[in-house]
Amino acid sequence: MRNYENLVIVKPTFTAEEIQASVKNVEEIITSNGGKIAASDAMGMRKLAYPIEKSERGYYHVIYYSVEPSAISEIERRFRINEDLLRFVTIKYSTNREVAAWNGLVEKVKKTTATPAKEETPTEEAPKTEAEAE
Amino acid sequence: MSEKRKYKKRYCKYCEAKVDFIDYKDVANLRFSLSERYKIMPRRLTGNCKRHQDMISTVIKRARAAAFVPYVVTRKKVITAPFENLK
Repeated sequence: MRNYENLVIVKPTFTAEEIQASVKNVEEIITSNGGKIAASDAMGMRKLAYPIEKSERGYYHVIYYSVEPSAISEIERRFRINEDLLRFVTIKYSTNREVAAWNGLVEKVKKTTATPAKEETPTEEAPKTEAEAE
Repeated sequence: MSEKRKYKKRYCKYCEAKVDFIDYKDVANLRFSLSERYKIMPRRLTGNCKRHQDMISTVIKRARAAAFVPYVVTRKKVITAPFENLK
């Protein structure tokens, strides 16, 4: 098992529920290939530094997980087929130093997504996405 | 030469802060090693050591792929503080 991180940019034209569904779909792709999700962090709707497929904004979601290295090619293949995603970035954490950093990041995400933040994030995200859909 | 030098005595900022790992997601930290037009600043100007410059350059390339940082900034797009508009 090796530690990985996947950043996923979901299309901004979706409603909040559709975004949640596609994020769930992404997590399912990872777990169905034998991955164990350590933490997942919703960074929310953000402006992109440059337009991707003509969209100026995107919904960022980061997933930290560990899988066998051989499963990565299959996961990436499934991501490429998935049309909900504008972009994905897979990062490997292999050396001791990187693994320590990975653990730190996972803990950081867990802290922020613990009780106080959980109540805030859905309420914040919902109005934003609705405004863009209009 | 010493009169022409634009920058002060060089030292590695990252060594001083004892940085072991740089996360590509916090863009504010990368700003130090990027020029106005989001090119990676050379080591001779920033004073970064080789190890940290290698780290920074891979991290910036990752951030570019993830659309946190632009690849190119054309003349029309140059903004003084572009990261404040993000988010």
